[in-house]
Amino acid sequence: MGTWNLIWQGLASGVVTGCVYALVALSLVIVYKSTDVVNFAGGELVMIGAYLGLFILLGLEWPYVALFVMVPIGSFVLGGLFTRFSLDKVSGRAMVKHANLVPLVVATIALSYLLKGIVRVIPFTEEVRRLPPLMTGPPIFLGDVVIQQQDIAIVLVTTVVMVILWLFFGYTFVGKALRATSQNIRAAALLGIPVNLMKLSVWGLSAAIAGIAGILLAPKLLMTPDMGTVVMLAFAAAIIGGFSSLPGCVVGGIALGILQNMVGIFISPQAIAVTPFFVIMLVLLFKPQGFFDTTLAVKKV
Amino acid sequence: MNLWKSKGFGRLIGAFAASLMAPMLHAQTPGVSNNEIVIGLFAPLSGPLVAYGVDPLNAAKMLYDDVNAKGGIHGRKIRLVIEDDKCTGNELVGVVKKLITVDNVFVLHGGSCTAAIAAAQEYIQREKVPFVMLNAAGDNAVFPATRYMFGSFQGTQRVYGSALAEFAVKSLKAKRVAVIVHDDDYGKANLAAAKAVIERLGGEVVAQERIPPNISDITAPVLNLRASKPDAILSGAYPAPAVLLAQKYGEFGMTNIPLLQSTQGMPTPSVYAKNVGNPDALKNLYHTWSFSDIANEAIRARMVGMYKKSFPDREPGPFMVTGVPSALAVIDTLQRMGRDLTREKFVDAMEKLNLTADVMTGPLQFAPGRRDALRSVVVVKFDGKTQKAMPDIYTWNGKDGN
Repeated sequence: MGTWNLIWQGLASGVVTGCVYALVALSLVIVYKSTDVVNFAGGELVMIGAYLGLFILLGLEWPYVALFVMVPIGSFVLGGLFTRFSLDKVSGRAMVKHANLVPLVVATIALSYLLKGIVRVIPFTEEVRRLPPLMTGPPIFLGDVVIQQQDIAIVLVTTVVMVILWLFFGYTFVGKALRATSQNIRAAALLGIPVNLMKLSVWGLSAAIAGIAGILLAPKLLMTPDMGTVVMLAFAAAIIGGFSSLPGCVVGGIALGILQNMVGIFISPQAIAVTPFFVIMLVLLFKPQGFFDTTLAVKKV
Repeated sequence: MNLWKSKGFGRLIGAFAASLMAPMLHAQTPGVSNNEIVIGLFAPLSGPLVAYGVDPLNAAKMLYDDVNAKGGIHGRKIRLVIEDDKCTGNELVGVVKKLITVDNVFVLHGGSCTAAIAAAQEYIQREKVPFVMLNAAGDNAVFPATRYMFGSFQGTQRVYGSALAEFAVKSLKAKRVAVIVHDDDYGKANLAAAKAVIERLGGEVVAQERIPPNISDITAPVLNLRASKPDAILSGAYPAPAVLLAQKYGEFGMTNIPLLQSTQGMPTPSVYAKNVGNPDALKNLYHTWSFSDIANEAIRARMVGMYKKSFPDREPGPFMVTGVPSALAVIDTLQRMGRDLTREKFVDAMEKLNLTADVMTGPLQFAPGRRDALRSVVVVKFDGKTQKAMPDIYTWNGKDGN
């Protein structure tokens, strides 16, 4: 297999992995843009989505397509419950967007431990498991480059989710209301937008996207309560693209997926794990707002 | 009269000193009385690695109970003090200290996790208490050999790496061999032994991929393996990366290249097959195995029958048999020692172990400077449903990769 074939294969596989990173990064950025809160439970929401999917498929024996309905709904409910019973209490239903950010972030860290702990005690999760892939069948060969049908499914689902999000935020009343709430919560309230419901919706939507990422990721990894560590790669993707830019985090995710593969092929597999952190450092040093977020904000300390 | 110089006072001091020394002069060996030998038996009985501990410990217990039922060893029954080490260094060291200082055991018999055992090594050497590993692989704890530590009753990474390398070159006629291992001491040992054997037999190592144990995306290393155009791939990966490797190997259409996996990568072959989820990826799969139960169904049936007799409410898992060889070694050593038991004599006797048991693929042996018991394994072909042992036994010569 020549060098160019290696590169093309690395690119193809990197785009697929990067799409999953992009979805998780989207779920983080959506919350951050609306609430300024960094959601450290993002990875565990991915994990919950994967286990929920496995339960629906193997436990309830529902068809695979049901996962793409039930997992987002279940994850949305989880995100909503977290907002209603934890975040709202912590922030005191404050109208000020930046109020009590540290306790809110700590609440997300607590959620991550809580979710991991709950999954660990369920006997069903004792064994390392794998979610069956959405699409099986012979791979597609483009020369020496192998593309699995599951990989095509991942790219397609990711694209559909992104298009839906773009249409939602751009052309629906609820999407515009969410954007208004994220830009100026007081003004949104004055306009009659139910801001608490919007906050709940943002967290629910973020959890739903993370859940879908879990369904896509689980066939490619092994499912364990610790599979949420993918969130670090999502953070790197969001930082590369800009933590306030939805298109940026998509490009960041795909770029990261490709970069990891290239590093593994041409430098060392041992360097794959440090690549995201090295990239984070470089971006923070030279372009801290990310490549797609043009505003460099300086806040008073 | 000067009290200090009086004879009576001197006799009093002498009697007091003698009374202090008497227990030392007639000191009893800890854990040994006229009618019992106390053994500290421990394994992970809770936590995420419980599957590696419960059944092997029960298997060892089953053998000790069998010995007691036949009258014990030279008139002494074996009494077990059982503890849970949770497969962590902190817990294991705590358990070991408790067994030595509170329960006064004669020997320690336990441990399923090498890293946890390694944490207790210094304490063991200091306290001079014999430690016989239950079923841990034990590479880090037996190389270099130390006086009181005995283990690797299933073989070490050197054994697995050299066995697969020899099988690849001699049986599969592979000339170009790719190796993928972890970037830790186990991976280093596996690779060194495999490379030495491959080169000694005239082959060539065309790719060496060293991956972190917690790797989640194995695409790049597998692409590198594929690019090297090997005749066989040797893997020393742990369970999760081993599954990812087999998945990618299947996805990238490499299944015409034999994949040879060391034992630690597929502790439960049926679960491995289920997690790989691609029957095509298993059609050319082989793995090492240290027991003769696959080749001889009667041996497996006997072990399972014995286990179920002792534990009728429990179905033995695949790891059960791994608790057998170390218990057989302890029993054999105690029998050879006779009635005169001390810890130092136990170590000397254990060092002379040369035990052939039909359940093992080779003899269990120690020697001065050698603390790894088993050096012979078989290679098994596994197609996802059935396992078939290959005819030959592969023995590490003690030098390759050392």
